[in-house]
Amino acid sequence: MKRRIIGVLGVALAASLVASACGSSSSSSSDTAASNDTVAAGAADTGTPTTGGTIHILSQLEQITHLDPQRNYTGSDLAFVGSTMQRALTSYAYASGAEGSKLVADLATDTGTPTEGGKVWSFTLRGGATYEDGTEVTCADIAYGVSRVFATDIIVDGPTYAITYLDIPKDADGNSNYPGPYKATADQQAVFDKAVACSSDGKTITFNLNRVVADFNYTTTLLAFSPVPKAKDTGEKYDNAPVSSGPYKIKSYEPGKSLVLVRNDKWSKASDPVRHAYVDSYVYEFALDPAVIDERLMADAGDDQYAVNDAGLQPENLQTVFNDDKFKDRRQDSYDPYISFTAFNVKTVSCVEVRRAVYLGLDREALRTAGGGPYTGDFADGFIKPALADDYAPNKMPDGLNKDGTPNIEAAKAALAEAKTKCPDVYAKATGDGLKFFHPDTPTWQKNISIWIESMKAVGIVIKPTAVEPSKYYPTVQNDKTDYDIARGAWGPDWPNASTMIPELFLTSGGFNLTRNGDDPAYKQFETDTKAALNELDRTAQGTKWKALNQFLVNQLWSLPGTFLKAQDIWGSKVGNAYKWASSGSYLFGELYVKQ
Amino acid sequence: MSAAVDTPFFYFPVARLLRIALTRFIVRRIFFALVLLAAVSLFTYLLFALLPTDPAALTCGKNCKPELIAANRVRLGYDKPIYEQYWQFVRGIFAGRTYGSGDIAFKCPAPSLGYSFNQHECVSTLIGKTFPVTAYLSLGSFVLWMLLGVGTGIIAALHRGKWQDRLTSLVTSIGVSLPTFYVGLLVLFSVVIWLQWLPFPHYASPTDNLHDFLTAMILPWITLAVLSAASYTRLTRNGVLEAMNEDFVRFGVAKGLKNRTVMRKYVLRAALIPIVTIAGLDFAALLGGAIVTESVFSLPGMGRLAIRSVTDSDLPVLVGTTLVAAVFIVMANAIVDIIYGVLDPRVRLK
Amino acid sequence: MESTPLLSVNNLCVEFSTPDGIVHAVNDVSFSIEAGKTLGIVGESGSGKSVTASSILKLNSGVTASTSGSILFKGDNILGADDKKIRQLRGSEIAMIFQDPLSALNPYYTVGHQIIEAYKVHHRGVKKPEARKVALEMLRRVGIPNPEARIDEFPHQFSGGMRQRIVIATALINSPKLLIADEPTTALDVTVQAQILDLMKDIQKENGMAIILITHDLGVVAETCDDVAVMYGGRIVEKTSVNELFTTPTHPYSFGLLGAVRSLDKSARGSLRTIAGAPPSLLHLPSGCSFMPRCVFANDGHSKCSSIVPELELVPSTHSLSACHLRKDALQKLTTKDLL
Repeated sequence: MKRRIIGVLGVALAASLVASACGSSSSSSSDTAASNDTVAAGAADTGTPTTGGTIHILSQLEQITHLDPQRNYTGSDLAFVGSTMQRALTSYAYASGAEGSKLVADLATDTGTPTEGGKVWSFTLRGGATYEDGTEVTCADIAYGVSRVFATDIIVDGPTYAITYLDIPKDADGNSNYPGPYKATADQQAVFDKAVACSSDGKTITFNLNRVVADFNYTTTLLAFSPVPKAKDTGEKYDNAPVSSGPYKIKSYEPGKSLVLVRNDKWSKASDPVRHAYVDSYVYEFALDPAVIDERLMADAGDDQYAVNDAGLQPENLQTVFNDDKFKDRRQDSYDPYISFTAFNVKTVSCVEVRRAVYLGLDREALRTAGGGPYTGDFADGFIKPALADDYAPNKMPDGLNKDGTPNIEAAKAALAEAKTKCPDVYAKATGDGLKFFHPDTPTWQKNISIWIESMKAVGIVIKPTAVEPSKYYPTVQNDKTDYDIARGAWGPDWPNASTMIPELFLTSGGFNLTRNGDDPAYKQFETDTKAALNELDRTAQGTKWKALNQFLVNQLWSLPGTFLKAQDIWGSKVGNAYKWASSGSYLFGELYVKQ
Repeated sequence: MSAAVDTPFFYFPVARLLRIALTRFIVRRIFFALVLLAAVSLFTYLLFALLPTDPAALTCGKNCKPELIAANRVRLGYDKPIYEQYWQFVRGIFAGRTYGSGDIAFKCPAPSLGYSFNQHECVSTLIGKTFPVTAYLSLGSFVLWMLLGVGTGIIAALHRGKWQDRLTSLVTSIGVSLPTFYVGLLVLFSVVIWLQWLPFPHYASPTDNLHDFLTAMILPWITLAVLSAASYTRLTRNGVLEAMNEDFVRFGVAKGLKNRTVMRKYVLRAALIPIVTIAGLDFAALLGGAIVTESVFSLPGMGRLAIRSVTDSDLPVLVGTTLVAAVFIVMANAIVDIIYGVLDPRVRLK
Repeated sequence: MESTPLLSVNNLCVEFSTPDGIVHAVNDVSFSIEAGKTLGIVGESGSGKSVTASSILKLNSGVTASTSGSILFKGDNILGADDKKIRQLRGSEIAMIFQDPLSALNPYYTVGHQIIEAYKVHHRGVKKPEARKVALEMLRRVGIPNPEARIDEFPHQFSGGMRQRIVIATALINSPKLLIADEPTTALDVTVQAQILDLMKDIQKENGMAIILITHDLGVVAETCDDVAVMYGGRIVEKTSVNELFTTPTHPYSFGLLGAVRSLDKSARGSLRTIAGAPPSLLHLPSGCSFMPRCVFANDGHSKCSSIVPELELVPSTHSLSACHLRKDALQKLTTKDLL
């Protein structure tokens, strides 16, 4: 008995280590160097889809993290819920490859009209869309859905762009004056209704923003902009039984067991330009052991021929699946949305030569090997992944950086020698007291940190590690008072625009800036250029600006690019359209079909 | 066959036992059980407060800034001092608890063990849903393993030193050292995935779909039973051998009783009493959740609920499941004591 | 003229196979007993006396024991009988009681239940109230006060002496012809001992049963027995009447035993005398007389002692059988001097 309990706690703790990261779902790591590989080719079959059948989704999760559209914020869940049950104003094209990051209209008739240089956005509703009970989706429902985002005491975990962007006053702490629909007074509600306004005919919804947001129509792809009928809103409880506006509805939902979706017969194809809805039903099977999932998919028997999973292959099965030709038509090695990186505290490591010395001397290959080898991902050449086709271009990496990820000790020492004269203080700190390195206390990082210490020692730089309990790691390093010199992190875009990467990671107002770069001499220029890119309404011109900024960041090395992370998948032999959707990095579940 | 020889195994004067038990024993038992449960719940709260993981950080999403974590902490109620949290919890047991306000308020009626913000359910509802699964799993495997363990134990003892005994001892020594997790996976892989003798288990309640229930339960039952039976085989074998050396057993034989009668009334009675005690406690522990088995076979039972509450740092569920498990342990202890008193008159009067 | 004995044991050998080898527990033992008589079997622990007694009811562990010879009860060979036959004898014709009354009763059943069970197993068809009446009578007979109240109590509610009385009541409930009592009083204190022995004698007087009394206590033998067999190393080394054992012992081991008793009597003014040395291992019996290593009379002159197992022979001018190579007169001379 006793032994049983201890064993169980061990498992629980191990699980919590993996599940804790805020910024990235990936626990792997490694660091840098240019790789101009394109997205790894997938075997996904995009032949002629047929209608009917049931798709099974095998999951180790106990439930969908959030079905409530306003609380849904993870790639796979967004793709699943969005493609089956929740429509939004705009969407990405339901297509494979780069086409999948193309913006299209969904509930709206087009991808929106910006005015005042992008400070006001209006969308005309297509009309004809209905909920599962047959009532029509109205403009008011969309506005109501958006208003729920402000109820931060109930509607948590979701993206908060609505709060950030909408023209509603905030108090000194940055909290909105509008407390959400549940608590708002009539006055407060009036303020919101002015910011998100429906035309009198109910055909047009207008968003008044507090700033120019050139890609606000990308923001509206998030399910936070999905409609919720006020009469059906149950607040906290809505998460388990949201009302569907998409082609499928919930037949049964038992967390820990299964979620079964069947066709929503009130959905009309005519009103929905995006979704095809090939299959008749979906069965999400929860709480499966990861080893069991892989084994079932490899065995490909019975209903498992119609199965996909939602979390990729286990490392121990990669060799089997990728070395055996019998899997060649139903396996894929592709990028997920995430990039790992190592951030410097630019306040304390204010010397670019020292940062470059670290980059050049770091044994990135050893780190990648420790994290699982090439399946972990490719050495990143910046902070934009090739999947963001509009914004990505290969960068020119620092001279002397080895492409194969091995350390270049000589080049590193040369950079350090340069630092000795240019910034003696930082040089003294790096070679004397040492640089304080914060990392999550996970098994992977226990390995990684010794690689860091050893390879820096070869250069002459001292690393002083601090391991942080995993669930507290991000809160710790995001706290301005935490005294680190180096911290690791990972981030993925919220939509296929570098606007959700570069500003988030490097603007002082960004959501995940670990670099404390506000005082750096180069920051002013960076801020100006970034804001210009954010305000650029022309998508191509905007992409060009992001490419330049990406190169700028590689030159500054406020943060060292780590790895373009990858994921590996296998699916049942009768599953069609099993491609990874560019916008989410997961399957586009609603487009899967059963092969005859 | 005469009646005396076939006096029931559990022959005892019922009325008197109940009189004794009811007056003192049970009342005292219940009192101590309540004190113990209060202590267990309080201890769980305190332990949780000491855990290094931050529940507010765990349940906040991608954009996990310190302010959001702080807000989240308020939402979940972890901002309050631990004694106040505990007081709310205790009050909820008797009065129920209401969450939120206005149109979207909802209530977890008494006895409320709190609300899980991760699973959007009242804890009592969650336990009510998962407990039957665990109960079916426990009951089935318990019956199987007792039959198997005691049966093989007796066979081994009766054939001491012969091949039956040696085979049993070999199998059990393997059995007790095998981890449930790997055996469960191996059974699942081989029977379901590779050989496809059974469909993949999809648990359904026996009243809804008996076929699904049985196909989902048969492998976990067998896995749990076979592994747990191993130690019972040993216990039974040793108990029987020890009992067979008792003077009263020899005296029973010298009376001219049939071997079967001696075995039943003299040997097994003596050998099984300690096993009843251990079995009772083991069964109660199982009712608290067969964590590994439930995980491997994807059974939506209370063990998985408990483990998930640890992973999620979901205090209400953690406390709820811990308490329920503790109730079973306490109840099992009391029941075992009563049964012990029934089975062994020497204990009864003390 | 001798009548047919109730029980005669002839050339009984019992061996146990153990992982260490074969234990020769009983070697070529023969004796007989007549109705109404009491035979004492005396010896140290490990001398084979209990095994001998157990053999009569085939109570030795069937798995590892092998038995040869014959045991005739009323002329029928028990050793050859099948299980059913033996079961019919057990508890009805031949009863047995054991050394420790504390552990001889099943703790999980009332004493009444156990006595009635013993009765009914040999009296099929008797109704329970009737059996209960018999049991009550028997409890009264063995001296349990207020048996109506106590018949439904459990063994642990009785004192040791009372328990042995209950054991005796259980054993005698079917009026057996032969009672085998294996150290029935050893675990009891002295006054209770005497009571129990008196009880056994009384009942014997009433129903004329034979008793085989196994003991290591010569005092008990003197008080109770008619004849006595002294066992050593799995053999009978002296077989005689009680009177002759105490007046003219004919075997060095018997001398030793008596010496131990007498010196105990005189312990107030003398030293406690026991027999030096330890009993032989039944795994490896000596090739000659098994008592020789401890025998104060065996000396270099008697080479036979170490090579030839002495036969049980009639000692001249006595009625005793003794298994010793030494001549009786030499023995007697030495012992007298040694003892006095």
